[in-house]
Amino acid sequence: MKMRVSRGAVVMMAALGLFGCDRESQLGPERRTQGARSALPAASPRQTNAAIHRVGDPERGERLVAKFECHRCHDGTTQSAMADEKHCAHCHDNIVSGRVHAPADVLHRWKAKTADLRDVPSLTAIGARFRPEWLERFLREPHDLRPNLIYSMPRLAISPEDARDLAAHLTKDAGTERDTSFESASTESGRRLFEEKSCGHCHSFTGTDAPGPRPSLTSASAAEADRRAIALAPDLRVTRERFRRDALVAWLMDPVKIKPDTRMPNHSLAPDEARALARFIVETPLAPIATNKSPALPPLLDRRVTFTEVQERVLGVTCGHCHGNANAFAGDGGPGNIGGFGFAPKRLDLTSYTGVAAGYVDENGQRQSVFAATPDGTPRLVAALMARHSEESDSASADVRGMPLGLPSVPLEDIQLVATWIAQGRPR
Amino acid sequence: MNLSRNWKSKAILIALGGATIVGAAPEAHACGGAWYPVMMEMPDVDYRQEGVPRAEKALDEGRVIAAAGIVIRQIPHVKQLAPKSAKIVERAQRVLALAVVRYDGSLPIEAEVPGYAQGTWRGKTADQRLSNLGWAATVLRSVAELRNNDPASETELAEALAKLEDHRTEARGLLEKLASKDLITSPEGYAALAQLRAEAGDESGQKLAVQRCEKMARSVDICRTSAHAAG
Repeated sequence: MKMRVSRGAVVMMAALGLFGCDRESQLGPERRTQGARSALPAASPRQTNAAIHRVGDPERGERLVAKFECHRCHDGTTQSAMADEKHCAHCHDNIVSGRVHAPADVLHRWKAKTADLRDVPSLTAIGARFRPEWLERFLREPHDLRPNLIYSMPRLAISPEDARDLAAHLTKDAGTERDTSFESASTESGRRLFEEKSCGHCHSFTGTDAPGPRPSLTSASAAEADRRAIALAPDLRVTRERFRRDALVAWLMDPVKIKPDTRMPNHSLAPDEARALARFIVETPLAPIATNKSPALPPLLDRRVTFTEVQERVLGVTCGHCHGNANAFAGDGGPGNIGGFGFAPKRLDLTSYTGVAAGYVDENGQRQSVFAATPDGTPRLVAALMARHSEESDSASADVRGMPLGLPSVPLEDIQLVATWIAQGRPR
Repeated sequence: MNLSRNWKSKAILIALGGATIVGAAPEAHACGGAWYPVMMEMPDVDYRQEGVPRAEKALDEGRVIAAAGIVIRQIPHVKQLAPKSAKIVERAQRVLALAVVRYDGSLPIEAEVPGYAQGTWRGKTADQRLSNLGWAATVLRSVAELRNNDPASETELAEALAKLEDHRTEARGLLEKLASKDLITSPEGYAALAQLRAEAGDESGQKLAVQRCEKMARSVDICRTSAHAAG
């Protein structure tokens, strides 16, 4: 019952550059869920979180918001939103709303691809809700927070110091978390409220026996607003680490008051009801979730594969949106070419045969082939695609960043196609 | 004298009247028996913005003469333009230059381009062919400079230089450097390298380059040329 992304859609979005700071994955519905679950952290005591938290530099953090272009996808930062054509969610929304000038057939095609790629959580009042130590850890090790959102927080080149300072900036006006006791609240009452208010209509709560319903994006009755709310709803498994307890109660009582642009409805809970629901959410036992093993690359195909096929099925669908042609009439090549999201210009163009063959610029300014073998012999292009699968299985590689960044992994059979093409000498 | 003066005066009046009518004509058009003033200004449409990508696509698909034809038809004076004048010019010149190189300075464009625009592109004489190749190399060098550190541009420049006797050492240097990092971006680049290696007596190197070319190329013909020439 999960959203399956058309990879074409992915294209659209991606390029421009794409995603800001929140990640998820694709694969088929089942796999995506499993991968996502496995990536979720287990709950840990608050004291542990507090112990690892260090005070950061909020001023530097503000500069880092600009550096990492959080405002390219997220609203609600201290930076003005990027121009629409560079802002992933705004651009997609403009396409779906028909505000983009393009030939009718092209627009029709784009609309179909971007309909489910319009929502990225805003960062409004983030400090009033979330714990800085959780933010810091999430920025360094992003995981699947919203199982029904196609985008996910990309794994950016954020150092521990960067994460600390970003978290300090994002929470700088929040004040210290007040001790909040749920002792007088009843977990059973909270559970009943969870069911009565149909929290499960939008929220997953993995690893628990929380009552239904379950989020469904494919329900015929799901109105668009519903669909968008479901997409943005976080998995409540993470709430106990993520939310300040004092803020959680206030949030459950009147979320719109705290974050005016939230899609979370106001259920008019009384304070004791909010405390009961909060207690249920943060204290319900969590079952461990099985970790998926990273899948292996299928064997090479025994038929001829040409670049045309690779482009039509993989590179032209997903990769070219960010790794575009900087010399083309329209567009600037995208962040995977001219730089963005804190990355230096890679000058990688995956939209043409010669572009792919021309490779990328490494951190030393030297051109390198995307076909060069990594230490285990895998061509780098294939390694990047496989690394995304590993990231979804909670085993991110320190050496190779998974691609596509912040988007669902490319299906294994498509990676198999790319690998076969490379092994055959890259026929045109 | 009077007669003559009268005749001249009448002639001047007739001429002025005619000029007035002719001058007025552009201001109005006849349409269905009615006259209406020309109020609309036609927008300036730069057809090169559509044509050059089409030419690039044709070149990429191996339709080299079609690519060259598009460029020459749309920008007949393309040879006189500096690549740096506009990105679209740079792209157009790159397409045409590569076409020139791949046809050894002699483009069989008679079916693609009207006679008045063919210039010396058909390379009927050795001097014309050499001049065309020289122009192509100059263009591709300029493009490579503009797109600094771009293996695709460097491969294309080397492909052009390989056709010019005085520049073959430079061509081989470029291609060997790119080959060492697996950054030759076209089968034509490997074909050029094969030929240069063969000319230098590097038979095994030539075979390797031919193999790479044959794996990449849609048609192995472009690779055989090198091998054959070397043999």
